[in-house]
Amino acid sequence: MNDNTIIEMSGINKQFPLVKAIDDGKFDLRAGEIHSLIGENGAGKSTMMKILYGVYAPDSGDIRVGDSHYKTMDTKKAIELGIGMVHQEFMLAEGLTVLENIILGSEPKKGSRIDFAKAREKVETYSRDYGLEIDLNKKVIDIPVGEAQRVEIIKTLYRGAKILILDEPTAVLTPQETVNLFKILNALKEDGKSVVFISHKLNEVMEISDRITVMRHGKYIDTANKEDVSIPQLAQMMVGRKVFLGAEKRSHEITDTVLSVKDIYVPSEREHSKIRGISLNIHKGEILGIAGIDGNGQKELAEAVSGLRKVERGAVVLNGKEIQNMNPQKIRMAGLSYIPEDRNVRGMNKSFSIKENLVADCFYKKPYSSRGVLNRKKIDNYAADVIKKYDIRPADTDICIANLSGGNAQKVICAREIDGDFDVLIAAQPTRGVDIGSIEVIRKILTETRDKGKAVLLISADLDEILALSDRIAVIYEGRITGVLKADEATDIKLGLLMTGEEIYEKE
Amino acid sequence: MKKNDYIEILLSILAALFIGGIVIFIMGFNPLAAYGELFKGAFQGNFGFGSTLAKFTPLLLTALAFHISTTVSVFNVGVEGSLYLGAMAAAWVGFGLTGVPAVIHVPLCLIAGAAAGGLWALIPAALKVYYNVNEICTTILLNYVAIDITSYMVNFPLSSKSGSPQTPSISDSASLTEFMLPSKANTGLFIAIALFVVLYWMLYHTTMGYRLRSTGANPAFSEYVGINPKREMMAGMFISGALGGIAGAIEVMGVYGCFLDNFSNGIANNGMLVALISRGDIRIIPVMAFFLAILQSGALGMQRYTSLDDSIISAIIALFILFATMQGLFKLKTTFGGPKKHTGLKTGSEK
Repeated sequence: MNDNTIIEMSGINKQFPLVKAIDDGKFDLRAGEIHSLIGENGAGKSTMMKILYGVYAPDSGDIRVGDSHYKTMDTKKAIELGIGMVHQEFMLAEGLTVLENIILGSEPKKGSRIDFAKAREKVETYSRDYGLEIDLNKKVIDIPVGEAQRVEIIKTLYRGAKILILDEPTAVLTPQETVNLFKILNALKEDGKSVVFISHKLNEVMEISDRITVMRHGKYIDTANKEDVSIPQLAQMMVGRKVFLGAEKRSHEITDTVLSVKDIYVPSEREHSKIRGISLNIHKGEILGIAGIDGNGQKELAEAVSGLRKVERGAVVLNGKEIQNMNPQKIRMAGLSYIPEDRNVRGMNKSFSIKENLVADCFYKKPYSSRGVLNRKKIDNYAADVIKKYDIRPADTDICIANLSGGNAQKVICAREIDGDFDVLIAAQPTRGVDIGSIEVIRKILTETRDKGKAVLLISADLDEILALSDRIAVIYEGRITGVLKADEATDIKLGLLMTGEEIYEKE
Repeated sequence: MKKNDYIEILLSILAALFIGGIVIFIMGFNPLAAYGELFKGAFQGNFGFGSTLAKFTPLLLTALAFHISTTVSVFNVGVEGSLYLGAMAAAWVGFGLTGVPAVIHVPLCLIAGAAAGGLWALIPAALKVYYNVNEICTTILLNYVAIDITSYMVNFPLSSKSGSPQTPSISDSASLTEFMLPSKANTGLFIAIALFVVLYWMLYHTTMGYRLRSTGANPAFSEYVGINPKREMMAGMFISGALGGIAGAIEVMGVYGCFLDNFSNGIANNGMLVALISRGDIRIIPVMAFFLAILQSGALGMQRYTSLDDSIISAIIALFILFATMQGLFKLKTTFGGPKKHTGLKTGSEK
């Protein structure tokens, strides 16, 4: 046992309605270290840290902070003890300014009024000391995600946090922003603060951590010094077996174009022409990756092609037929399948069972129904087959899909979309927030789809994923395509430049 | 709906009866005796039990009407209006047509009622779906319009000219058979039960039911898989209004024999409450409708024998609804606990 240990959690158990989220969990943290907590989705990393931060109460176990032992925490106590957490979803009031958000709940007072000058001074020391660049006067709604994250970090520091828990902080960042975040984390470490870094991106974990703890299925697996482990070892510990995430690249002939997008203009919720003149061609048997920072028009592009969003100008041609502004069902019939970005809203009906979700696109067809009456037996059999084929857990056709982990729910969606007749598959952020086991299955689905001669439009904010799967890569920035590269020409740096607006056009 | 929910509803009933009992006691009566009279009133003899069944029929239908609207996530407070218009349409066909055999006349009246109620509900539905107008506002306001339209018709063009505000009596061929005389129970009861079964089957065993439920649960998802949520919302509202219309038609054809001005006095509102306390579970609706029917028809018996005013029953019904809708009140301890569960065990620095 190291003398520096400031937090020690042991024997932690936590049961959720259907899963044992934490099974004899264990974790310790030293002063002035960056400690990564890794594992697949549903491995219990977030739950473990939410127990430490007092969001969940464990069923049993001991939490030691300093010299004191606790059976349970609550957030108020955690904050008093100097523990701060930056959640995956930011908890900021959009209509307030950055400064107001930071001091919200612990405002310095002058008489009965808020002492903004004092607050500003204090906040500025943090941003200076740790390189946390923020604009205090802007409203949160107007700042980019990277900055919102810095605001969250300052918010916890402002409340006196000595221990920072970051739940998948890089999921929303560009490579450049990630580099910046790591600088900040190192500055915090230099200052003697401790950081818990929850992630499943192993290369980042290897870059930033001092020590690494692996969890799997709610169980503690091992803790290691970074120097003593390698990425393949960690992956194996996370999954419990060897994994292979890359795809076999095939040098193939570009043949028939199945889907072409011709100079389209598409509005977003807030603005006209969020997409301004995108043209793309997707061919049979290829995966075209769309790389780019979230929010540059990826969602609008996918929705415009699938008929869920109006196309203001331009044409979308699928199999030689113009499909822009047709209704989604007709576009599906014309040969499009779509794995939507917003899994929880678009992708599934959370109050429906697995089987009801699986047949959502075909319940009205034979053999799942005839003359308007559902054939429950056929549906049951079909669902049971799919569950087996894609290893969906829990393997129960009637269970409500809301009870599934992100990865398993995504497998349900993928299974539905690739089953049946289609020529083009749009996969938008198919593996976001999904565990490694499911990532492997989903990526395999995508490459198999391509190998069957279908076209795949892969939209992902995860550069590694784009690089691992795509045959060609188009980069989207502020509603335009800034460049199209062949997979073997694409590098992190080139893509990073294109993603921030540098235009390098290369020939298809 | 989980098992705990059923138990919670049962506890709500008991709590409401208990507090009602206290009120009865304060008013100087024996609560147990009063409740005894209430249950006697609701079950004893042809008149007692028949009246309960007669009240059950429209409660069940209007509750189903409200349920189907919430299934497509529209809050149809306008079932009452559909009920009035359906009643009027049925009365019109009932006395206007003569010389038709009952096997044709009765269905015709029911269809007229359903069509009137259903078409009426399409107005707020279209306003919501295509112009995003809040349906609660429009349905409440349209209730007044519907009631006043029927009031005008019963007083002027369709008046029986007998001095009281009612239409001429419907022909015998349009009347539903009464049973358990002298109560008002009639074969409309079986129509209502049959509609319940059909509706349940439709919702869970047909593609139409799938579309309706999917639309209500998640319109964005429904659109994405190729369902047209707008059309489904319209369809759901039409069915909702049609059920309200049938409820009104049965009142005319089985209970009153003509359209009486202002006959309903909030039947559909009680039906809406039945649907609300059933918490979206269609299987509970008949049970809850029956329970409310017992309270309502038993209240008369209680009033007769104990001189206790039947407004106490309205109070108990209100209390029950209050308890039943306070979902957290009887939160039963589950094995899993909520997000936070303090065990109360504290060690270390807490000491």
